[in-house]
Amino acid sequence: MSAAGLRCPGCGSSNIVDDDLYCQAQLVCVDCGSVVSEGTLADDPVGGTDVSYSRTTEVTRKPCLNLIKGLERVKEICRILRVSSEIEDLALTHFRQAYEHESFINVTLQRKELLAGCCVFVSCRQRDWPITLGTISCLLNADQTLVGGVYQNMMKILNIQAPFINVTDVIEAHVQEYKISTQHVPEELAEDSKVLSKRAVALVELAGDSWIVTGRKPLPIMMAATYLAWQSLNPNKHRLKLSLDKFCQLAKVQKRKPATTRITELKEVLCKLGRELPWVREPVTQNDVVRLVGDILEHRHTLLTRALRTHERAMEADCTQTFALNSLTEEVAPSQISESRDQTANASSVVQPCPNTRGENQEGDGDENHQSEDPEPNWGKRVLFAPPCVLHAKMRRVERPVQNVTGDEEISDSEIDSYIRSPQEVRDFAQMQKMASCSDIGKS
Amino acid sequence: MDQNNSLPPFQGLPSPQGAMTPGITMFSPMISYGSGLTPQPVQNTNSLSILEEQQRQQQQQQQAQQPSAGLPGTSGQTPQLYHSQTGPVSTTTGLPGSTGLYSTSIGPMTPHTPATPASESSGIVPTLQNIVSTVNLGCKLDLKTIALRARNAEYNPKRFAAVIMRIREPRTTALIFSSGKMVCTGAKSEDESRLAARKYARVVQKLGFPAKFLDFKIQNMVGSCDVKFPIRLEGLVLTHQQFSSYEPELFPGLIYRMIKPRIVLLIFVSGKVVLTGAKVRAEIYEAFENIYPILKGFRKTT
Repeated sequence: MSAAGLRCPGCGSSNIVDDDLYCQAQLVCVDCGSVVSEGTLADDPVGGTDVSYSRTTEVTRKPCLNLIKGLERVKEICRILRVSSEIEDLALTHFRQAYEHESFINVTLQRKELLAGCCVFVSCRQRDWPITLGTISCLLNADQTLVGGVYQNMMKILNIQAPFINVTDVIEAHVQEYKISTQHVPEELAEDSKVLSKRAVALVELAGDSWIVTGRKPLPIMMAATYLAWQSLNPNKHRLKLSLDKFCQLAKVQKRKPATTRITELKEVLCKLGRELPWVREPVTQNDVVRLVGDILEHRHTLLTRALRTHERAMEADCTQTFALNSLTEEVAPSQISESRDQTANASSVVQPCPNTRGENQEGDGDENHQSEDPEPNWGKRVLFAPPCVLHAKMRRVERPVQNVTGDEEISDSEIDSYIRSPQEVRDFAQMQKMASCSDIGKS
Repeated sequence: MDQNNSLPPFQGLPSPQGAMTPGITMFSPMISYGSGLTPQPVQNTNSLSILEEQQRQQQQQQQAQQPSAGLPGTSGQTPQLYHSQTGPVSTTTGLPGSTGLYSTSIGPMTPHTPATPASESSGIVPTLQNIVSTVNLGCKLDLKTIALRARNAEYNPKRFAAVIMRIREPRTTALIFSSGKMVCTGAKSEDESRLAARKYARVVQKLGFPAKFLDFKIQNMVGSCDVKFPIRLEGLVLTHQQFSSYEPELFPGLIYRMIKPRIVLLIFVSGKVVLTGAKVRAEIYEAFENIYPILKGFRKTT
């Protein structure tokens, strides 16, 4: 409405201007200040617009709010982990790509957050930044199996491959988490991070060589290695007395339950090597092996070869003993020709693999033949180092023998009848069901 | 009777006369090392035994290739060799001397190296642990009636829309759906699975339904075996990255997806291997024969 031709009702002046100071359009008289007329405050109809947001063109101009939040979360996680900008960019790319996929667009916000963590995880692995899924789960405060599920789903959708990260790469980063420098703990318990890291790496490598690492979760092994490294660097009575629980409380890390078993397994391996130390007179037990860890790690390659050689010699002695036994039984029963023939076959095959075991930790076929009387030849017990799952194999129930079934046999009527209820049984069952449903209705 | 365990056919290879005709349950010892789809044995040079094996394999390949090298030469000299052979024989068949247990694959379409002889095979045969099969009973079923009148049936429609029935011999479980389709699991051989499915069909028949036995098909076979030496899974995932997935934080075994045959193998550090995804028994045997040389390559000693 034009200002010309209007008269102010207050003072009668025709000096009226269009005041656009406020969001409301107003015609104001300059002389007395009274408002002559004003426009509507808001143009939107009551109850929102007629067209919903998702159908407007705003969608293409402004991305989904959850996508923005997700990208922010990815950036947050990257900043916490202090990864390089390259990894951050890669993670953001992965997230944008995965977010649009149908498996992730309509899921809960929790799952979208897990997706953010998984994108960071895979980007770290692709750029050789050592990190474990356990760390990501901790950051996201989520169950590791859930994170694992989202991770595998994401890998399938993005169709990418992440190179495998060894425990030895991650251990250095892991040791940094432990707060046991002189600023945090008293002097006799403190340890320099670099020194601790170096020894922990050596322990993890030893564990890897002796089959403790393969197939297991890495975090408990790293915890066990750090604990033993810390104890062995200064094996005074304070450190040796401190249990894993207390150590974790001291270093302010969360204890992992399998770490105790890993410590025992690692100590066993150290004992096997410690026995080969020439300057050790007393037998090496789990309790006092910690003091020798430094020496063992320093000369571990030599000790390993020595231990293998000792083990071979023990095996050979075993072989020749059984061979002597076999030949003895041969003399005892000369009349049973077939039996003796079997035994000569056994004996000769037993002798053959004994020289073969030199330099190799494998059982020969002869060993199996010889031990055919035993129900379960456990090859793990015959080598120096074997994966613990082989050493402590679960007892399996005896497999039923495979019958000679053709698939076309006659099926007896009596057998089929045994699977069908008699009429009385049917009546009883129906009655019981009715009673059960009545009581349910009565209860609810 | 449909034989469900036929060998997968070799593409582009006419079987020469006198060559091995595959038996019914025999697995093929032919391992093609040259094609890109089957995994190659990895040369891990740390152990002496692996080097020896490498040399042995090279020697064998040289020996096996000698007849093929002779073929272009002899084609001009002994033309009657081809004429004397009866039947549809292409010029790509090997010399009679070389066709014994295995057929040498010399042809323009087949670039892969000759197969290794049977004596090279691992000597370990995977045992079948589970067979899953389906059959169509050909009529609509009333699951409530079945659950009421059969002793060995359980039916909880709120949880799952099928009757779960079990028989003692062979020890199996069946899922019977109201459409008349049935899934039978738990058998240890193809014939056992068929017998079990027939027994379930007979039970349903006796309960008053006009059950038939249509389209019996083996859908999945699971086998397992033990190579009896520990395996370095970290090494295997590094060298066979495109086939393997090893996440110790999620699962202790390595998941190996073989392309030819299309089998998934779960490989554990203890040396135990689980093979699944097969439609016929021969696929499991073939997959194991393919993976065994690779696993031997990772038979690293401490």
